Amino acid sequence: MSSSIPPWRSTASAPLLSAFPAAAAPAYIPVQARRSLANHSKPTHGIVTSQPTTQSASPETEDRPRVQFPPPVRSYVQRCFAPENQVASVSIPEMQEKLKQVITDAAQNDKLGLIDWDRLPLPQTMIQNERNKILANPSSSNWAYGQPSSPGDARKRKSTDAHQSETGSPPWRKANRNRFEDRVTHPTTEKKPRITVDQSSKSKANLEMRRKRFEGVGGASPSSPARSPTQTAEANQGPVVGRCQTLEKNYFRLTSAPNPDSVRPLPVLQKALDLLKKKWRNEGNYGYICDQFKSLRQDLTVQHIRNEFTVNVYEIHARIALEKGDLGEYNQCQTQLRVLYAQQLGGHPTEFKAYRILYFIYTRNWTAMNDALADVTAEDKKDLAVQHALNVRSALALGNYHRFFQLYLDTPNMGAYLMDMFVDRERLSALATMCRAYKPDVNIRFITEELGFESDEQTARFILDNSSAELLEEKNGAVRLLTGQAGTLFDQAKAAAHRVVDIKGQI
Amino acid sequence: MCSIATKFKDAYVNGSGPDLAAVLTPIGSPEDPTRLRSFHEFSSAEYISKDLSYALFHGKSLKVPKAEQTAWLDIFAAYWEAVDEILQCEDRRPNASVVTVFNAWKKVANALIRGYSGSACLPAWTLPCLYTVGKYLRTFAINADIEAASRGTAGIGFQEDLSAEVEKNGNLEEAARVINRMFTLCLNDRAPIEESRKWGIYDMTNLLFKTYFKINSVGLTKNLLRAIKAQSADLPPPSAFPKSQIVTYEYYVGVIHFLEENYAEAEEHLTWAWKMCHRDAIKNRELILTYLIPCHLVTTHTLPSKALLAPFPKLEGLFRPLSNCIRKGDLVGFDQAMSAGEDEFVKRRIYLPLERGRDIALRNLFRKVYLAGGFDEPKDGQPPIRRTRVHVNEFAAALRLGSSAERWRVDTDEVECLLSNLIYKGLMKGYIARERGIVVLKKGGSAFPGTGV
Repeated sequence: MSSSIPPWRSTASAPLLSAFPAAAAPAYIPVQARRSLANHSKPTHGIVTSQPTTQSASPETEDRPRVQFPPPVRSYVQRCFAPENQVASVSIPEMQEKLKQVITDAAQNDKLGLIDWDRLPLPQTMIQNERNKILANPSSSNWAYGQPSSPGDARKRKSTDAHQSETGSPPWRKANRNRFEDRVTHPTTEKKPRITVDQSSKSKANLEMRRKRFEGVGGASPSSPARSPTQTAEANQGPVVGRCQTLEKNYFRLTSAPNPDSVRPLPVLQKALDLLKKKWRNEGNYGYICDQFKSLRQDLTVQHIRNEFTVNVYEIHARIALEKGDLGEYNQCQTQLRVLYAQQLGGHPTEFKAYRILYFIYTRNWTAMNDALADVTAEDKKDLAVQHALNVRSALALGNYHRFFQLYLDTPNMGAYLMDMFVDRERLSALATMCRAYKPDVNIRFITEELGFESDEQTARFILDNSSAELLEEKNGAVRLLTGQAGTLFDQAKAAAHRVVDIKGQI
Repeated sequence: MCSIATKFKDAYVNGSGPDLAAVLTPIGSPEDPTRLRSFHEFSSAEYISKDLSYALFHGKSLKVPKAEQTAWLDIFAAYWEAVDEILQCEDRRPNASVVTVFNAWKKVANALIRGYSGSACLPAWTLPCLYTVGKYLRTFAINADIEAASRGTAGIGFQEDLSAEVEKNGNLEEAARVINRMFTLCLNDRAPIEESRKWGIYDMTNLLFKTYFKINSVGLTKNLLRAIKAQSADLPPPSAFPKSQIVTYEYYVGVIHFLEENYAEAEEHLTWAWKMCHRDAIKNRELILTYLIPCHLVTTHTLPSKALLAPFPKLEGLFRPLSNCIRKGDLVGFDQAMSAGEDEFVKRRIYLPLERGRDIALRNLFRKVYLAGGFDEPKDGQPPIRRTRVHVNEFAAALRLGSSAERWRVDTDEVECLLSNLIYKGLMKGYIARERGIVVLKKGGSAFPGTGV
């Protein structure tokens, strides 16, 4: 009896393997059944709802010509054939085949009573799910469905193989096997989690297969020598073409190949951006906006869309993140923008080069600052924002707080949001310097003006927050800072404020 | 009989790593310029593994464990293919490409790595092979990148996805990954130290340093340093390694600290490298000085002497104009020299520390103001004392020297700011009495420490 193990079953027993036609055998990789996807039936449900009445469906049932099926199974079969459950893309014979598979398998393995038939997806749904998953795999999207191709599909591959083994294995599948395996095991970092899925099994045959595959990578592989590794990686990932039409989508970090059904194509993304811009203006809900932009960026990435629109999306997200002080997110955008600008896709390179310099001042990443400076061309230096950022950097490097705070009060674009992040730090540095240089005291008015505070009150508050109240004294109707007595107070505060900033997502 | 096979056997019998590495070198040697070609002619793609196994291991002269034999056969088979590609390049065949050479050579590297990590476990004395293969992997990668860049997008567009990022350093980045595996292979060997691959660690680290610097990923070097530090207890002391390896290592560690603005630590490592560096290694000494001089400027406020730079005309040209301006306290000249040399400074990543030389120039300028201030009226036959109360306006006037009035308008607050910075940094002793608009300098010849006044 040619039967297969349904994908929701976790036990891949070896004896059944031998029942496969020889052609299908090498492609078989026993793995844990998927437990996470909701549209697949959950094994726990099936096991929990055991029905003692049908426990008699024990080993000997196999030998009987007729099996007495319990009522839930019968109703399941009835539902399969109900007209309202028919799916256009799955023909009745295909569905029947699958149904037969499911039931015979359950009967053979004593699961007739264990499976929760009321919740089990109908065979047509199963077939659809399988197809979708194959389609979701970008590398096979050029091919007919049903082709095993990436290790991400390994868990599902067996059901496909089994399904096809009924009709006989098409010749191109064997022919292409090597090429695909070759791609599959290419040691790029992002592939790692997928490969471990393969490796979870310890069977001998598997080890053998793995050995073969690794040989294919390092040793003399039949592939043309002109294929560079990056090309292989590209080919493996291949751009997805999205089919999703909804404008809004929550961000979900991909753990497997993207599903085209949930990826929005460019025109939809463009509309989505307009919607987001409107929503940001009207509602200003950053949590929502950030999430939406992340999914927008993800859709662009998986479809390999790199054009002016991409730049636009990243720029807008970067600006919003800046406005909200979300530097982790901002840095991700900035890093990507740098790559995009290098490809001359438009946008506002100088504006963001200026931000980049300010950002590295904030994170005190001098190695990266060197790179950023090297990126600035003579042409860029004509830009006001770039000039400003360079001046800020040089003023700080020389400790010229006077210049620094003048520049702070006159920052182009959205640079002030970045400068706000480190202005207090620099105020402490300046105060430490002033306290060493001025004796015996200075008028607080002077500090307010010199360090870009808004008012004397704000200055006093800042000083009190970072030192002690004894340092302020009222004399002749003016508050004065007793610089001569501050000693190392501000030095300590400065040292504390200048500890290296660590931001997630920093390159 | 193929000379490569003979050399291989000799090296193996003698247990000589360098000789073995010479066998795997992908260029002709001085005594045998056509060695690659003769090796290539020795077999064909079809028969290479059979021919190799006969040539390398047949006969009684060499007893090598079976697994090791297989490893070497793999390596030499890959080597033969790489040589095939190299010769195609040399012959300027139409299909020849450095990128292909790089990929073929990468297979040699991978075969070698497998030889060490797999069941064969090649002995540690063969380590020079790893370095040689890694070294040429880097060279081929750089050339491959150049070739890819010169062929431009036209060539790429055909093979690659159109949206694929045009990677400037794609091949070199790939090479870095392979070399990194070699690094791990050396670092994590747990064999007893006499036969450990740990002896290859500095060679591999230096190679990786070079590569990371070239691909502008200096940040990645920190991972290496961390890994080495974590293993340091199990590593032989640096003095046990060849000096050349350690000098290179110290140089890079110095530069890494330098780039993070840890100038004191940078100076320590660079000074060590400077002292240990072979005196005839002019290029290396020049590289060390490129970073050591800015280091000194920041940490000790000293400028390079003419004698020091005499053997290095390039450095003389790089640093002399700046040094002169700093010495004279010529701020305008300093700014001009900085912007004139900016591209070069930024490229060498010494712009940031050199910029700090402005403080020294400023100090020298203000010192002149102090000296020009003359002496106070001597009292009762006492030796004259320098005037220690200097008006802020006098310093402001000095700042205006040599600059057109509008461009370099300095207001009093900024002058005070510059003064307080010098005081804070200890370049000047005294204090500012803001209400009276004067600077009160320290008496007794220590207003400008270290300069005699």
